[in-house]
Order: sequence, then C-alpha cells, then structure tokens
Amino acid sequence: MYAPVNDKAQDYPTGHEKKSPDHSLVPPCQTACPLHMDIREYVDLVAQGRIMEALQVIRTGNPFPSICAYVCTHPCEDACRRSQVDKPIAIRALKRFAVEFGGDRMVQAEAETTHQEKVAIVGSGPAGLACAYYLRRLGYQVTIFEAHSELGGMLRIGIPQYRLPREVLDTEVERLTRMGVEIRTNTRVVSLDLIFELGYRAIFITVGAHQSLRMGIEGEESPGVIDGATFLREVNLGLKPSLGKRVAVVGGGNVAIDAARTAARLGTKQVTILYRRSRAEMPASPGEVEQALEEGIEIQYLVSPTRIERGKARLTVTSVRMELGEPDARGRRQPVPIKDSEFSEEFDTLIAAVGQAPQTTSDFRVRTGKGSTIQVDPVTLTTNRAGVFAGGDAVTGPATVTEALAAGRLAASRIDDYLQHRYPLPDKAGRDRLTGDLLPETIEMVRKIGRVEPPVLPLEARAKDFVPVELVYGWEEAVNEARRCLRCGVGVEILFQDKCATCLTCLRVCPYHVPYLDAHGTIQIPADQCQACGICVAECPAKAIVLRKPFDRRHVTEELSHIIRSTAESKGKPLIVGFCCQYGLFGTGTLAGLWRGAKAGVWIVPVLCIAKVEADHILQAFEIGAEGVFVAGCGQQCARENTTDRVYQRVEKVKKVLAPIGLEPERLQAFALETTDEDPTEALDRFVEKVSSLCLASVISQEVKS
Amino acid sequence: MIVAEQKPFEEIKQMISPYGRVLILGCGTCMTVCDAGGEREVSFLHSALRLAQTKSGNGTHSFSEYTLKRQCDPEFLDLLVDKIADVDVVLSLGCGIGVQAIAERFPDLPVLPGVNTSFMGMTKESGVWDERCAACGDCRLDETAGICPITRCTKGILNGPCAGTKNGKCEANKDMDCAWILIYQRLETLHQLERMRRYYPPRNFRTIPRPKRILRQASINAGGSDD
Repeated sequence: MYAPVNDKAQDYPTGHEKKSPDHSLVPPCQTACPLHMDIREYVDLVAQGRIMEALQVIRTGNPFPSICAYVCTHPCEDACRRSQVDKPIAIRALKRFAVEFGGDRMVQAEAETTHQEKVAIVGSGPAGLACAYYLRRLGYQVTIFEAHSELGGMLRIGIPQYRLPREVLDTEVERLTRMGVEIRTNTRVVSLDLIFELGYRAIFITVGAHQSLRMGIEGEESPGVIDGATFLREVNLGLKPSLGKRVAVVGGGNVAIDAARTAARLGTKQVTILYRRSRAEMPASPGEVEQALEEGIEIQYLVSPTRIERGKARLTVTSVRMELGEPDARGRRQPVPIKDSEFSEEFDTLIAAVGQAPQTTSDFRVRTGKGSTIQVDPVTLTTNRAGVFAGGDAVTGPATVTEALAAGRLAASRIDDYLQHRYPLPDKAGRDRLTGDLLPETIEMVRKIGRVEPPVLPLEARAKDFVPVELVYGWEEAVNEARRCLRCGVGVEILFQDKCATCLTCLRVCPYHVPYLDAHGTIQIPADQCQACGICVAECPAKAIVLRKPFDRRHVTEELSHIIRSTAESKGKPLIVGFCCQYGLFGTGTLAGLWRGAKAGVWIVPVLCIAKVEADHILQAFEIGAEGVFVAGCGQQCARENTTDRVYQRVEKVKKVLAPIGLEPERLQAFALETTDEDPTEALDRFVEKVSSLCLASVISQEVKS
Repeated sequence: MIVAEQKPFEEIKQMISPYGRVLILGCGTCMTVCDAGGEREVSFLHSALRLAQTKSGNGTHSFSEYTLKRQCDPEFLDLLVDKIADVDVVLSLGCGIGVQAIAERFPDLPVLPGVNTSFMGMTKESGVWDERCAACGDCRLDETAGICPITRCTKGILNGPCAGTKNGKCEANKDMDCAWILIYQRLETLHQLERMRRYYPPRNFRTIPRPKRILRQASINAGGSDD
C-alpha cells in the first residue's frame, strides 16, 4: 500500500543527467560580512523556528558567535536589500537570539594534537583568540601570550561591559582552555627571537592598536586630561577614576561614545561630546549614538578644541566652531574652522578619543608603515621576518571585532600553509555573488512588514550600572523578524532550457513580475529579483523551473518519505498529512498546535510557504496512505503577497479527480486562515473527525459488499 | 498553437482498463503551452492513475511516463523505441496529430488519446484559450482587418453583421463579441471602412480537398507519393 514516493525521479526526468547543482547566489549580507557568514541560511532557520540548526550554521566559520552577537557592527545590515523595501533585517539581534536560545554556551569544542609544531600568539584580542581557536582545531600546539592579567584584548579592556558582558568573554576563554590552548597572561613579549628559541615555529602578532593618538593642542598634558583608551582600560580593569561633574569627550568614533556612556555610568552628571564634523559624518555606529543621546549625553557637533588651560580645580577648554568644506579623497567633507568663533567652557575632565594606533615594540624588527601599523603581505599575512605573521588592528589600524576575527581565522589557515610547506590556496572559486538593486516593480509587490527591534533596558535602569542595554528577542519576535528576509539569491532558475516551451506561464503567474521575455524571445528569470515564492516552479507545465538550492528541491519528497518510515511503526489511527507553512505561524506556535504526532495520526510536512505545494504532492500524500490531506498557510500573516490563490486552485484540481479515484473530495481541505476568524486547531479537529467518519463509512461499505 | 483539453479522468480510466502496461506520453510543445499534456500533466495523471488503482482496485496496471518535445515528427518518435519495448499501450497526451503519428510510426502498438483536441487558437490570459483559425485553406484576413469571420462569427458568414447582433454581442451568446462589429471597428481605425461596402461571394468549401498535403520541394522532386 505504501508505494515509494520517489520512483518517478521527479526532479530530473529521463533524458536529463541526474545531478543536483547548487546554483544559489551569495547574498549581499554574506558578501559584506568579514567572516562571510551564511546569514541568509541562519535567518531562514530562525524563521522556521529551527534555532539549534541556526546556531550550527552560525558556528560554522565564526569561532565566537556570542561575542559577535553583542558587539558586531553588522555591515550585513547595511548591505541588506530589505532596506530597499522598508528596513533591513535585524541580523545581529537574530544572531543573539540564536546563540542564547540555541544554547551556544553549552557547545563544547574539542581538539587533538596532530601536529608537533608549536605556534605562539602575541596578544589575546579577537584576532589572537580566533587564530588560537582555529590552529588548535587544526591540531597545533598553541600558546597565547598576553601582557595584561586577563585575556580578551580590546574585548575586555576596550569595550564597556554594558555592550559585552564579561561572562560571555569568559565562556569563550574557558572553551579555548578546555581545547588545550596554553595561556600565559601577565607576559609581555619583548623579543621574538626568544620565542623562536623556546621552540615555537611560527608567531602571530596581534597586539592591537591601544596607543591613543594625540589631539596636538596646547595643554594636552594637563592633569584632568586622559585619553579614551586608557580611560576605558582603567574602568574595565575595575578602577573607578574620579571624573568630576562635567566631562568632555573629544571625538566621534565608537571609542568616544563608549567613553561618554561609561563616564555617565560612573555617576558623571553632565557628559558632552565634542565632534568636529556633523552627525552624518560620525564614524560611530548610529544605534550607539542614538542610545547615548537617550541616556542624556549631549553632543556638540562642528566643534573642535584648540587649547586647554588648567585652572585651580577645573579645565578651561577653548574650542572653535567648524563648517564643512570640500570632501577629501575618501569622500568625507573636511571641517574648516570658522573665523572668530572661539568659545570657552569649563570641564572637570576631558577624555580625548580621537583615534588609536598600534604600539609595536621595535625589538620585534617587523616592518611598519603608515600610523605604525605592521606591514604584511595581504595574501600570506607574513611580515618581513620568516615565520612571523601579523593581523588585527596592529595591521589595519582600529577596526571592528568581526574584521579581527576574520583576520585571525585567515592567519590560522596561512600559518597552517606555512608549517605544512604549502602555497596558500586561492580562495575557493565559489558561487556567484548577487549584486544589483531590487526593481521598483518588485519592491512594490513585496509586502511591507516593519522591523522588530530587540527590546532595550529602560532608561532609568541604564545609567546606573553596566548591565547590557540591549535585551534578547522573545521567540515570536525573533521568528517574525526573521521571516522578513527576502532570501536573496535562492530563487528559481530555468534549469532545463530545452524543456521550456516558452509558454509564458511563469511570467503570468509571478506575483512580483520578475520573469520577462528578452529581445531574443527567450524567457529570463533574473536571480537578483526572484523572491523564491516557488509559484512558477509548481505551475510550469513543462517542469523546467526549479529552485536553485538542491535541498529546497528535494524537501517535500524527503519529508513524505520520512512520514512513510515513521508511520510504519505507529498504526491504528487514520493517517492525516498536513502541508503547513513553516514560516511564521508554524514557528510561532499558532500552527504548531496542529501537530498531533504519531498518537493522533496527524503528520505535518513543513513547507516554506504553501505556494510550493504542487498538486502532485497532494496526490503523493494520499498515495503513501493518507486518509486525509490538508494544506494550511499563514493567510493574512504571510510575509508574501498573493501567494495562496494558486494553491487553492491546485487543491480544487485535485478534488476533481478524487471522486473518480475512489476518494471523497472532503478528504482534502485547505485552511484559509484569512477567511476564518476561528482557531485553526478547531478547524483541524473537525477535519480529523470528518476523515475518521469517512474512513469508518468506507470500511462498513466494503464489509457490506463482501 | 493547437489547443486541447484533457479528457475527464473517468474516461481515461475506462480507456486504459484492457491494458496492463501503460506509457503516459506527454508532448512538449502545444500541449504543454495549453496545459493539457505537458510534463506536469503527465506526472499528475500518472500519480492519479496509480492512486486510483490502489484506492478503487481499478485493474492491475503498471505505468511509466515520458514527455517528447513533439509527438508529430517521426524523428522524435524514434526516441520512443526503447520506452515502448515493454508497454502494452501508449496513452498519448499529444493532440490528435500526435496520436496518429504514433499509430503510423508503430503499427503494432495500440495508442489512446488522453486529450480532446479542440481548436487552433491563442492564450487570452493565464488559463484562458480562444479559437482563432479554422484552417480553411483560403485566408481572407487581408479583407477583414485581421479578424476571421469564419472562426469568430457563430454563423461563419462572409458578409456581416447579421441582424442578430446587439450591443456588439452575438445573439447566440451574449458574452461573445460579434466578429463583424469587431471587423467594422478595426476597419474604421485603419481608415479602410470602404471594404465594408464590398460583397464577398460565398465560398465553395467542397472544392477544398481533404486530407490536404503541402509540398514544398523543388519541382524535379514534385509529386511525392503517399507510400
């Protein structure tokens, strides 16, 4: 009775080579990420409520996802094409949700020593930690040398606790120790020769950029003036510098904002940021600036200090007002002083956060360049000394945590190449990148759904201590946010051009007006516009169109075979198969209530939007022995527009053949949630009852016949 | 394009009942475009027939499926030689031409029509097809502004409109446009209304021999024969 589902080799009919190529394109978020994380994939898994799997994807290629979840500057969100529709996906907040709900802190990393070579890592910032993690995983013996008493570099002494709780960092350090990474704190490396003499075969220098730049103005050495990096270091190491009532912070980067918000948390009544350009040019991340303003920090734009005088108790800071002039080579408009606009203000403390540079000891004998950064070969990461590699802020100047992690990961593979006497392998020629903007006609048809921001700590709770400001999503919020993803680059393609009859069905059914006829009369489905709803795949009369990812193509068939295997063990109740949208409603629980499992005989085939359910799939469900089949979608809550009508047409088509097949058409039902206000679980219960009675009736009538 | 409609499932079930091994054969051209017998329909019919067999004990069949690019060319049909080795019947979802081409190419093999070939026409919109040509063999569309009265006028009259036209619709079907009103309006747009004044003599359909054959060969080869 249980006929195998797959005996028709549906995806690749006779005459076509049986292969499963992955033609999906790399989405802009992944391209923008320094670690090239598979963002689209994990956001999609969150949308389906598959959080553990999402975490697995996140952990592939990111050694410390918990850290990124707090502090990443998310260039992916800047590249997100959803911003062309409404607002970008809150990717970092979703990652935070995945690492917390997926249980990242429980993940155990293991490593075995398979290589005898020892590698020394000088500095334990994100680049050093990442390099240690990957080298250890590759089987090397790794030692981290850290000048301070605790590991973490800027993660520990630069980033305030309200942005990165120390437990998160400690968990990661603990994991490295368990993996067998040797850690030597309070050890400042002064000579690389000594390290080589100790038997290390390679050294990775990642000392960061801790040296604050000077403002270059009169009175900078006065007591009461402190640089941003030193200030943050002192606070993060547990000191409480006394700042007085009024504090000025000079600068517009993240360090300046961190210093200002830290000062406020130490009890300073009035914190003022002096920045010489306007808000638009501010390099600090806009979210941080917003939160600083919320916390009552004042920002004076287009103001630059020119002189500091130390009075008896306070500092008199003379500043000049600026205006924006011509853009420089990088396109940033240069501030120009306005004549006779000088003014003075009194402060107790001035924190200068105008930039930082690496502090490399000359004993390292590595070549340095602009801003005393270490010069390396961009491909091999080697310095001028054999066996000495460098990366992180020490090479790039102050940059982001994620960039440092990427540098550490790359260094690990380059050091591996070096120790194994291999030429560095060029990056794998990967899949094509998706570029280009959405067309206005596509944007118009995408349903607008507002971005769900993660909750933040209420203001009154913030300025008092250093607990994290940003809180984590709840389950429903996360799923709703994740399903806004447009899944750029996983759409469809006409895989079998020879089968395409150019019937134009795809062009006519696409809700987003994506397929078009080119000048040669060939139908084109541009990958950068397709929204992956799957309607054309299910409608194409020649079956020439497929989803670009092999998994998406096999999905329903595999789920049905899974049901066959599972039901073989649990008989008794009539089998009912439901095709349910796994986005949104199913993940958030409304449809999850439909799940009855083996006991009640209701089995769910999770589909990524019911638009992908083909008429054939429904027949297959009956064929594997289902007594009833239902299709349930998100209705009005669907993240897409106009996707369900076609599904209902397919359901009607199947209903028409059910009677001549010998099955009552009532055994098939589509739940149209938008037309009923009632609870879908009640509708399902009625459906189950109906199917049960139909089953009973058919058994009786058969007995009567015999 | 040739437009057809798949036969009711019940009828197909009855048709195949005397046969054991059935090859469901799709056609990748017109039948795909009019959604009557492309690969998707073949696959759907295959599933439905198999299911009918399990559910209502409708004989013991074994099914296979295949879709040719076109059933109306002998070269394409040659691709079937392997597929038909172990089948008892071909259920063709090609048009009537495809069915006959199979019958001609494989004299020993029974072939069944899975669709009702309906007309020559065009896609009006997604899921809607309209008849446009009767293949009369004597095209006069130049005189009727590109609108065929033979096909589109219920009565097929050559000098319309008749008295049955009302508000631009046909007396036989209120939803159907009167072809001659359409012709009039389009001639007006083209500034060729004077063509309406001409009289078109009745056509003698008996002079058109059936079946027709077109020979497009150089004159020395002319006179190809039937056998």
